[in-house]
Amino acid sequence: MVSPSTLRAIEQPGEVGPAPEQPLGSCPPSEPAFRFDRVVHRYGTTVAVDHLSLEVGRGEMVALLGPNGAGKSTSIAMLLGLLDPDAGSIEVMGTTPRRAMAMGVVGAMLQQASGNGLPHGERVGTVLEMVRRLYRRPAPMDLLIRRAGLEGLLGRQTQRLSGGQAQRVRFAVAIAGSPELLFLDEPTAAMDIDARRAFWKVIAELGREGLTIVFATHHMEEAEHADRVVVINHGKVVADGPGATLKAAVAIRRLRFTTKCADQATFDGLAGVTDVELRGGVVVLNSLDADATVCDLVRSGIEFKDLEVTGARLEEAFLALIREADASGTAGTGQAS
Amino acid sequence: MNPLAAFGRFELFRLLRSWRFLAVTVGFPVIFYMLFLSDHSARRIIDGTVPWREYLMVSMCSFGALVAALNAGGTRLASERATGWARQLRVTPLPPWSYVGTKVAVSMVVVLPVVLLVEIVGTTFGGVPLSAAQWFELTGLLWVTAVPFAVLGVFVGFLVHAETAYPVVTVLMFVLGYFGGLFSPVSSMPAALQTTARLLPSFHHASLGIDLLAGHGLDATHWLVLLGYAVVLALVILLKYRREESLGLA
Repeated sequence: MVSPSTLRAIEQPGEVGPAPEQPLGSCPPSEPAFRFDRVVHRYGTTVAVDHLSLEVGRGEMVALLGPNGAGKSTSIAMLLGLLDPDAGSIEVMGTTPRRAMAMGVVGAMLQQASGNGLPHGERVGTVLEMVRRLYRRPAPMDLLIRRAGLEGLLGRQTQRLSGGQAQRVRFAVAIAGSPELLFLDEPTAAMDIDARRAFWKVIAELGREGLTIVFATHHMEEAEHADRVVVINHGKVVADGPGATLKAAVAIRRLRFTTKCADQATFDGLAGVTDVELRGGVVVLNSLDADATVCDLVRSGIEFKDLEVTGARLEEAFLALIREADASGTAGTGQAS
Repeated sequence: MNPLAAFGRFELFRLLRSWRFLAVTVGFPVIFYMLFLSDHSARRIIDGTVPWREYLMVSMCSFGALVAALNAGGTRLASERATGWARQLRVTPLPPWSYVGTKVAVSMVVVLPVVLLVEIVGTTFGGVPLSAAQWFELTGLLWVTAVPFAVLGVFVGFLVHAETAYPVVTVLMFVLGYFGGLFSPVSSMPAALQTTARLLPSFHHASLGIDLLAGHGLDATHWLVLLGYAVVLALVILLKYRREESLGLA
């Protein structure tokens, strides 16, 4: 299996950007990019984030997964200094989230509920020029244009951009200050396939320069770009493992059929099966190799009908794999609740 | 360049590049002034002390300040909050309060030339002779006291939905203009409306200018009402902001 990290290593360094910039003196490289320590946030009586602890090192590329309402957005808002924790502490680039933001070492691309997140009636170039002036170390304009794919768009009025174009402009806004920590919320939601491919190439390029990148996504395939995947649910980190584990999880298929046989051990013994669920006459199997499982099932002589093979629900599959890895003590950082 | 200065410059030019803003802000006060000037009551003396021409010029200065401040703050702010631009600015090195603060400041910046423009119209076409000292004092007074209008513009942009902000601004412009006595003297209004006028910032803004030209002292009530408006509106903005901040929405 090829892990995203090896992929990054063999990728040709296309155009070479400026040399990686020195981290600001105030934050020695040994410190993590950010650290959540038993962070709690409540809305009234609802606990959105429940003693969440997470540490991300410099230069890591982390995918943040989790269903809506899992506490992901609240955690992100606290990471960016938009929200304060009720308990626990958050450190970003060796200081508080707000100070890190004020120092200009954090760049963020937020998700837009409505509208395209840009001021209407302005040209793209004017907006970018202004944003660059907000930072101490603005990225060169031509680098921004190339990385965000804005060739020919600088003279365009922001309200005339397509959804994907606006998203690219917001990406340029996020990296305009040459940040050391880049946060991206659903960064490719409005992009077409070509734009997505180009976007992930640039992200890999930034990663090679030592930027810490954290992105939230609902697309499991996109999480594969990360070298670490963190799943948040019920306000906690419920899974935390290398991107390669997720790659395996993507391959998992879900087999569902009806049968009279109700012997858990029989199904467990079938080739490729990672977990078994019996619901009355219905059996649901997760399998790493659906073809082999079906062959084995036929060979076993068990009568079955209504067989369906579908992609597994990824977050579950990912969790299952991490649990498995933990049990056998192989994959390092995994933790499951 | 300092981040705040860069942002302020961007905001100011953003406003001045808008043809709609310029047309409304320059057009309304000047056209209204011209219309009212042709009024036959030109020789009237208002409240026994102030000639109609002077009353009219000061009223139109107030109206101009009101139009400029409401249009600078209100509609754009509401739309930028709706499209997510305001939130994007929160994740830059700009201090959290600088977005709203800059809106108020830029509104104040555009109010000044509008007040001056109306005074130029007043001295050239309106038959109001102003000494250099009067120019200076009147301009300064009407400019500084336009702060509640600037805060009101931001208030509208902050509290009203993007789609309704434009109509709300338009209605406010004319309601505050008409009922504040900027289009016709308050003393010629029915008693009930006179009472209403005294509750509006537009009336007190113009009254200060008229006090100045009439040569009697500036009535402290006018200052207090204007200050009250600025403080109360700013507090509501602050509370709304704090609430959004506590939800992570600001």
